[in-house]
Order: sequence, then structure tokens, then C-alpha cells
Amino acid sequence: MTTNIPTVDPATSGGVELRKEPSYLRVSSGLWSWLGTLDHKRIGLMYLVGVTAAFLVGGALAFLVRLHLWTPDGALFEPATYNQVFTLHGVFMVFIFIIPAIPASLGNFVLPLMLGAPDVALPRLNLASFYLWCTGTILAIYSIINGAVDTGWTFYTPYSLETGTAVVSMGLGVFVLGFSSIFTGLNFIVTIHKMRARGQTWFKMPLFCWAIYATSVLQVLATPVLGVTVLLLAFEHIYNIGIFDPQYGGDPVLFQHFFWFYSHPAVYIMILPGMGVISEVISVHSRKPLFGYKLIAFSSISIAVISFLVWGHHMFTSGQSEFVMVAFSFLTMFVAIPTAIKVFSWVATIWGGSVALSAPMLYAIAFLIIFTIGGLTGVFLGTLSVDIHLHDTYFVVAHFHAVMMGSTALAFFAGVHHWWPKMFGVMYNETLAKISAVLILVGFNVTFLPQFEMGSLGMPRRYATYVEEFQIYHQISTVGAAILGIGFALMVGYMLASLAGGRRAKANEWGGVTLDWHTPTPPNLYNFDEEPVMTGDLYDYTSGIPDYGKDAPMDKDELAERQAAEGWNA
Amino acid sequence: MLAIQDPFGQLPVPASTFAADIDPLYTFLFATSLFFFGLILAILLYSIVRYRRKHADQPAANNTTHNTALEVVWTLIPTVIVMVVFAWGLVGNMDQQVAPKDAIGYTVRAKKWAWGIIHPGDAKQTPAEMWVPEGKPVRVTMTSEDVLHSFYVPAFRQKRDVVPGVRQILWFEVPEGQGFAGQDFHLFCAEYCGDQHSKMAGTVHVVNQEEFANEPWKGGLPDDPVARGEYWYTKAGCLACHSLDGSRRVGPSYQGIWGREGKLVDGSSYTVDAEYVHESIRKPQAKIVEGYDTAVMTAYDETALSDEDIADIIEWMKTLK
Ligand code: HEC
Ligand SMILES: [Cu+2]
Repeated sequence: MTTNIPTVDPATSGGVELRKEPSYLRVSSGLWSWLGTLDHKRIGLMYLVGVTAAFLVGGALAFLVRLHLWTPDGALFEPATYNQVFTLHGVFMVFIFIIPAIPASLGNFVLPLMLGAPDVALPRLNLASFYLWCTGTILAIYSIINGAVDTGWTFYTPYSLETGTAVVSMGLGVFVLGFSSIFTGLNFIVTIHKMRARGQTWFKMPLFCWAIYATSVLQVLATPVLGVTVLLLAFEHIYNIGIFDPQYGGDPVLFQHFFWFYSHPAVYIMILPGMGVISEVISVHSRKPLFGYKLIAFSSISIAVISFLVWGHHMFTSGQSEFVMVAFSFLTMFVAIPTAIKVFSWVATIWGGSVALSAPMLYAIAFLIIFTIGGLTGVFLGTLSVDIHLHDTYFVVAHFHAVMMGSTALAFFAGVHHWWPKMFGVMYNETLAKISAVLILVGFNVTFLPQFEMGSLGMPRRYATYVEEFQIYHQISTVGAAILGIGFALMVGYMLASLAGGRRAKANEWGGVTLDWHTPTPPNLYNFDEEPVMTGDLYDYTSGIPDYGKDAPMDKDELAERQAAEGWNA
Repeated sequence: MLAIQDPFGQLPVPASTFAADIDPLYTFLFATSLFFFGLILAILLYSIVRYRRKHADQPAANNTTHNTALEVVWTLIPTVIVMVVFAWGLVGNMDQQVAPKDAIGYTVRAKKWAWGIIHPGDAKQTPAEMWVPEGKPVRVTMTSEDVLHSFYVPAFRQKRDVVPGVRQILWFEVPEGQGFAGQDFHLFCAEYCGDQHSKMAGTVHVVNQEEFANEPWKGGLPDDPVARGEYWYTKAGCLACHSLDGSRRVGPSYQGIWGREGKLVDGSSYTVDAEYVHESIRKPQAKIVEGYDTAVMTAYDETALSDEDIADIIEWMKTLK
């Protein structure tokens, strides 16, 4: 892509390139300059820290679950405690980590850069959404102290109405988190409509933006239903109004309809942004335009639309009418098609590229492998007669972990590795990063392939104890979880180490061509030195990659610091 | 026969007629998935090796972004496959949904955390154990007394949620003459139902038709009332909520229960005697023990435990230290 951005004219001093403005990291300092910031990049980073912490908590809980299941009678907890642990694992991972993970952290950071915009359209709403996220998270933590929750992340009635645990405050937490998600979605929709660079038509928008757009529409349309559902649940809990509780004439299955009407689209709220990240990473690291750009963009939109029409496939054993079952199964099959198209397009992009086996690319390849497993096993579950057998077994557990953990979380980490040099101007130890990518890929499969197997054999989910014949599968799975744990611990380690003393990043570390790689590294407060205009093609790697291979220029303060530290003079 | 149905050995014993349809479909899905997974993986690995970037400035070998023929093909193939799978699964499911007219009728009552099975022609509930004949369709009508449960027998490939306030129906048939008579199968609760969800298990005994005619569910009770009391304790679900060693579960422990004195939530005091135990089982809500006001014990009616059964429990309780 060619733009009218002049390559930064380096005012050189002592042979060191100087940038025109200080980066967004240096433009101001102090705690309040972060907590009160309206800069999309700082808000993105605060989200990044927050969701990563949530991931680590959720991950530790998952590991406790796996350790507990080492023996048939349960190695660690009383069943009541076990039920709380797996519930908290689910709530943390779904509502606090995965839903905001990519849109709110990477999306916040990268989307305006990709659109050539100085910020999101509504910066105050953006900050508000972050504080709502914090509030929701605090409410969730408060519920843990105040009696925890043992309903599973799905809060199915009537159990959730009669359990003595803190369902109401947890529900309130989810309600608030939902609003955080709606705010982010609204903001991004407006930003994409209104703030694209001159010359950037809809079809010159990077696929990550398309994915975020589709996600945002889902967030805005589906999340209110979640809000309504948890409010009704709270009313039912406090006033027994008789909507969900059969004791008062309510219908517990109605709750499931409400819940999945949100939570099925939510599955795509979780995976679509991941697909967007993968599209960018694969293109840059294969140095090739995406194969079937329009088809991928449309498949994002069609997945978003179909996702509203398939919620009943979570309830094939609930006693729905056969007619409803047919419709839901039929529509579910149509999710498989755009999904397959995406996988084929990504592979075709790599084919004939200039493929760098960099750390982000390894994460993306791990994503491709696991996502394919997740997609294929989804078809088993969409098939009516087979799902009757597999529903509520470990097969389902393994399937959604392939899609959520093995795909969304891996895409998130691929994206973090990809944009890390842009975010901080430093590089992590790439060898360690490659090792952790391989550990995670191996660990994932060792953890979850046995779970598919025991699910097919009939091991039900959410069991604190189990019959002996499943023990071997559980043990292999726990070993896999340990490998995963090592992979993630390593990742946190080298990422933090890079902030303390990583090498300086290149101006354009990977040789990307979309507008995000046209900013200084790290970007200015308002991102660009000059307002960008798009003239050429979107993913054009042939007419020159901006600043590829050059060291990122420093600003004056940095130069002075370096001079003082290294004892040389300009 | 079995080998063709499930060549990868991934499914439980095919002990119902549904397996003949579901297992080949599962195998078809699995084989197709393996094929596509292998294909994608092979192309991916080949591309990575073949097009590996060897020097930093290496451009892409080609910049193709379209190939209409290819894109049409890779849209159509999955479409055709998923439509076949959809139709196949639908046909199998219609079979799973509708019980034949000549099916023999069972009633299952689910509660936290025990299954109660009322066999055909019987009025009394058998806890956690179900006897079914081979070669005869079985229709099970299910109700729940508290929360959601789900009746799941993996060997039968059949599952149905048990929803309070609704009567759910499920059916299956164990094929005759394939050696299933004499075998036992797991019955699981597949829908999360709280604390002891994973202990809400049962056993399905498959018997041949002659044996079934002898109503095997009726025999087998110990002669000694104390042993019978213990049998009810373990099978009817009391065990899930009441420990014997003093530890607190959902309800109070039975350690030293006989003659024990305690306080109720309304502040009055009580002594555990025959009348109190009887009432605690028939109308648990009538007197609620202090400290247990949020926990719920559902009542056991005549069908679940007769007065004689309760008398057995009382005899057994007298022996508890
Ligand atoms: C779902 C859990 C649950 C099950 C199953 C259950 N109980 Fe209870 N039980 C409780 C709770 C909770 C209490 C205390 C509240 C109350 O008094 O109603 C209790 C109280 C009692 C008491 C009074 C105890 C005391 O110390 O005063 C008796 C006796 C009793 N149950 C007998 C039984 C028997 C016999 C069974 C099996 C046939 C049984 N329960 C099954 C939960 C359960
Ligand atoms: Cu249950």
C-alpha cells in the first residue's frame, strides 16, 4: 500500500534517529495519567493487564480442577467446593477474560491505528467501559467472598434460584460486565463508520476491523438479552415472580432460551475477533495479501447473522419439539460453511507466501490446528442424534475449549506477540516465545484429546467424582494441563522480562503494511505524524514496506537517558 | 458387526437399537473429520516448509488472492457433507424421539440426589436400580421433584433432561440375543444439579424376558431390618446429604442421632425419636433444624419409602453411635 505519509524525516543527532513527538507512553506520566486517560492505547493496555490477570486466575482455577480429577473420588476438594471452583473458572474465563480480551485490549489499541484515526470516536465512553469492567470484576470477586457461586457459568434455573450461594451479586457482576461490553461495541461501530482514513473504503479495511465490526454488532444486539436474563433471575430470586421457577408457575427451560439467545452469539463475540487477529498475523508473516478477502469479510458477517438463529442447539435434550430441533440443527450446519471457508482461505494465504516462522506466526499456526479440531467436532454436536449422546459430556467440554481456549485465547496471544513491539517498542525473547507456542500446542492436545475420547465414552461434565474406568483419561488430561501451565508461565515470564530489558523493537518489526504499521513505534499520542490517506491496495507487500528493518527512532528524553546510562555524548 | 459400527473403539458398548444408527454416523463424522484435518494439516505443513522465508527480503512466491473455481469447490464440498450429516442425524433423532406403541412403561422420579424407578405394574419405587428386558421397547416417563436432572445411559445413546413441572419421556430398546442380558450399565445424571451431582448415579440391569417376568427388582432386600435400613440410607439418597461420621453435608450428620437433642430454627427444642424421624422424612419442612434453614430436603412419599421402610431406617438409626 502506498500512502502520502512521508517516511519520518529523521532529525539525526549522534547518529541516532529522533522522532518528532514523544510516544504515547512518554507523553505524560503518573498514576492519574493512566487511570484518567482517554487515549485508546492506554485504555487498551489497562484492559490488557486486567484481562491477562483474569486469565491467570481462571487458569489457576482450571489447574485446580484438573488436579482434583486425578483420582475418581476427587483428590482435593469436597464436591461443594469443587462446584464452586469450576463455576468460578467458567465465570472468570467467559465473562471477565474472553469476551473483552481481544476487542477491548487489542481492538482498542489497534483498531484506530488500522483506520488511520487519532482515537476511537467516543473516548470517554471507552474509559467508562473499562471502569464498568473493573466494577463487574469487583462484584464477581465480592461474590466469591460472600459465599461463592456453585451453579456453573450458565446459572441454570431452578438450581440457581435455590442454591444458598451468592447468585444475585454474581448476576449483578455479569450485568455490569455486559454493559462494559455494549459500550465497547457501540464505540467501535461508530469509530468504524465515522473515522476511517481518507481513501479507506469498507473493502480497504483490514480484516481485523471487519471482525471487530461483526463482533460489535453482536455485542450491541445480544448483550441486552443477557442483562434482561440476569435481572429476571435476580427478581425471581428475591421476589419469586414466577418466570423461571416451576414452584411459582415458571418455566426453567425458558431461562435456557433466554440465556442461550445471548450466549450463543457470545460464542462468536469470543471467536470472531480471534479470527480477525489471525487474518492479520497470517498475512503479515506470510507477506501476502489475504486469499479471498471479501469472502472472509462476508463470512464474518454471515457467522454473526446465523449466530442469532442457532441457540436451541444447546438444548437438544431439553424436550423441545422435534420441529424446533430440526430448524436449529439445520441452521447450525450453516455455521460450519463460513468457518470452513475461513480455514481454507488462511491456508491458501500461507501457500505461496514468504512464510516467517516467527513467534506470532507459530501461535497462529497452533490456532489453525486447534481451531480446525474445534470446528470439526462442532459438526458432531450439531448433528441431532449424535448430540443426544454427546450433550453434557466431556466431548462438549473439549469442543468448546478447542474453540475458546485453543482458538480465541491463542489468537489473543498471537495478537499480543504480533503487536507487542508496536505497543512497547521492545521485543521479547523470540526463542522462548517459540518454545512456549509449541508447549501450548502440545499441552492443549494432551489435555483435550482425552476429553473428547471420554466424552464419547459417556463421561458427564461437571462431575466432582467419577467412575474408575475414566481415570486414565483424566490423568493424561491433567498432565496436559501441567504442560499448558508451563507454557503460559513461560510466556508471562519472557513478556515481563522484555519490558525490563528487551531489545529495542524495529520501526516495523514484522514488515506489516496496514496503517497500524505506518505509525511511529510506539505510536504518538494521536498516533500518526500526519493524517494518513490510503491510495493503494490494502495488503500490498510489493510496492514497499514502510520502514521495514529500521530501528525505531527515539525521542529526545530517551536519547538523553541512553546517553547518561551508556556514557556517550552526541 | 460391532467392529464396523465403531472401528476406532470410541463409543461405549452399543446396548440399544439406536447404536446401530448413531455409531456409524459418529464413525462417518470421525473419518470425514480425520480426512479433512489431515488434508489441512498436510497442506499447512507443506506450505510452511516449501515457502519458508529464507532471507529477510524474500517476497511471496505468488500474490494470488482469488481463484473462483477453488472457492466454489471448497464452499460446496462442506455444504454437501453437512447436509448429508444433518439429514442422517435427523432421521436417527426422529427414531429417538417417538416411542413405539407397544413399549412397556416405567416411571422415573428424580430428586437431589437419587433416581427412583417405578417398574411396570409396580406401585413402589426402587431406588437407583432399574431392570429392563432385552428385545422390548421401554418407555420412561420422568419427573423431577426439585431441580433439573438428566437421565443418561451412555450404552443406550439416550439422554433426556428431567425438568421440574414437566413430564419428559424417553425410550430405548436393548437388542435381543446380542449378549446384553446379564450385563449392567451406568445410569448417570448429566445435567448439573448441585453438590452431589456426580453421585446421582444408578445401574441398569439388562435381563432376558423370562427373568424379567420374575420381577427381579422386588427381591434382594436383606431380612434384617437394620441392614434394610442401611440399604435405604445408601440407595434412596440420604447418604448424599447425611454423613455418619459427624461431618456436615447438606443436612445434619447421623452420628449419634438416636435420642439426640437439638434446636429448631424457631428456637424450640426437639428430641430425635420415631415420630420425629418419620416426620422429617414425610414433611421435612415441618421442623427445620437450626443452621440448616437455607438447605432443602425434599419429602419422601409412600411411593418412595413406605412406612415399613421408614421403620427399618429407624431401627438402623438406633444402632448408630
Ligand atoms: C437433598 C439433601 C437431603 C437428602 C437427600 C435427605 N436429607 Fe434429610 N435433611 C436434609 C436437610 C438439609 C436437613 C435439615 C433441615 C430440616 O430439618 O429439614 C435434613 C434433616 C433430616 C433429619 C433431621 C435430622 C436432625 O438432626 O434433626 C432426618 C431424620 C432426615 N433428614 C432423614 C433423612 C432420610 C432418612 C433421608 C433419606 C431417605 C434423607 N434425610 C435425605 C437434607 C437431605
Ligand atoms: Cu441430577
